[in-house]
Amino acid sequence: MKFMLRAVQQALTNILRNKSVNFLCLGIIAFTLLVPGIFSFISFHLDRYISRLSENIEAIFYIRDNSDSAAIEKLLQRIEGNLLVKEVGFTSRDRARLNFAREFPELEYILAEFSDSPFPASIDVKFRSDARSVVQIESFSRDIEKSSLVESVQLNMDWARKIAMIKKFASFAGMFLSAILLIVSIFIIFNVVKINIFYRKDEINILRLVGATDWYIKTPFLLEGLILGSLGGLLAGGLLLLTIKAFPVYAGFVFNIVKQLIDFRQLPLKIFWELLITGSAIGLLSAFMSLRRFIKTSPG
Amino acid sequence: MIQFFHVYKQYFRSNEALSDINLSIERGEFVFLTGASGAGKSTLLKLIYKEEEPSKGQILIDSVNSTLIPPARLYRLRRQIGIVFQDFKLLMNRTVHENVAIPLLVRGDRKAAVEKKVNSTLALVGLSHRKRYLTSHISGGEQQRVAIARAVIGNPKILIADEPTGNLDTELSIEVIRIFEKINASGITTIIATHDLNLINLFPKRIIKLDKGQLVLDRASEAV
Repeated sequence: MKFMLRAVQQALTNILRNKSVNFLCLGIIAFTLLVPGIFSFISFHLDRYISRLSENIEAIFYIRDNSDSAAIEKLLQRIEGNLLVKEVGFTSRDRARLNFAREFPELEYILAEFSDSPFPASIDVKFRSDARSVVQIESFSRDIEKSSLVESVQLNMDWARKIAMIKKFASFAGMFLSAILLIVSIFIIFNVVKINIFYRKDEINILRLVGATDWYIKTPFLLEGLILGSLGGLLAGGLLLLTIKAFPVYAGFVFNIVKQLIDFRQLPLKIFWELLITGSAIGLLSAFMSLRRFIKTSPG
Repeated sequence: MIQFFHVYKQYFRSNEALSDINLSIERGEFVFLTGASGAGKSTLLKLIYKEEEPSKGQILIDSVNSTLIPPARLYRLRRQIGIVFQDFKLLMNRTVHENVAIPLLVRGDRKAAVEKKVNSTLALVGLSHRKRYLTSHISGGEQQRVAIARAVIGNPKILIADEPTGNLDTELSIEVIRIFEKINASGITTIIATHDLNLINLFPKRIIKLDKGQLVLDRASEAV
């Protein structure tokens, strides 16, 4: 406990001793984390939008005439057993005729011309709301369509498909940019810790020679990276909140288009945590790399 | 007890800094390590506190083969050895008290115990009145004594001093060696590297002389 307190105190002293370098570093980390934050925010809302769309997605599998009822029952069980499926219903040919008559009474005269129901039997499937389900629903539907019982499938999810593509692109671009910027962050913290190590080179050497353990020497530097990274993450969260609030004000014309997709009223706590954890992790990682590289602990 | 068995040290692409050194220093001994510049005095001392590794041979510190100590356990050896450097290696932006307290703080000693020990050690080297001074604000002789206080505060078994009087005038040098004598009287093995023969002549102690990396003289308490 005493050891940790000393280490934290030492880390804070290091940060305050090189104020200008450390604050500059903090600003750069915050801006580099802001970009992944923005993409994460967009992705989060696109996911939610897709999820809302998925709630209304229904698939209708039209069954071939004269299909065996036992085989249909088996197919129904197979569909029901899938985790994506919320509800399954079977509509027989006669039931389909009745439904049509009820929904379109003015067209009932057309049905009179048919002695038998002109409609095929169908299996109607409603899906669970799940952010990633669009692709899965498509794949599931294709799978069921392959069954010899199924004549055709009706699946209205064009919008969901388009949004999913946008989301996919945003995720990819976000990941690519984020990866570059995270490397930049790591490089910056690595060098800031390196500067602090060089600044305290004499002290480190003295500590080694009077019998300080490796961890006694290294912990303050690790904490320094951790503090810089986590503060950078927090600052990035603040900047993201500011960006979200400012966007509708300063980009009103675009806002009208995107407001249906993205909720600008609040920053999801999940993204805030993500930024904080990412910041802390890169801080710790880069400090660790710097220590490995620049603190000599074994005799020459 | 410090024992060297056929110890060699060669730096990368250079002549041997030390060649076939065999010696034994008993617990509580006072030894002057002498020789011209480049004779290998500092290298020999560095081998004792394991700042350097021997190229060949074995070094035993209190019957422990120091060459076998892994880096993670090195701190245990270093806590048994107090070192006074020629350039003092003090933190100039810290007070005398802060500098002297370092060896105790790295061991996690309690604040009250540190305070008590710092006071008694500063009294031993005659620096109690400079306790709150920044190290950069005291004289060279006083800085030397701060370095000695830092070296002995942790009750080491061995005290090593590399040219401790190199930057001091004769009067101050004698004063510093007297402090070392006082410390040695408490049973701490004391090894002082110096090329100052006048100083050695003033104090009848064991002398180990190196020349071009070889041990050329090892005799007790006589003038060279």
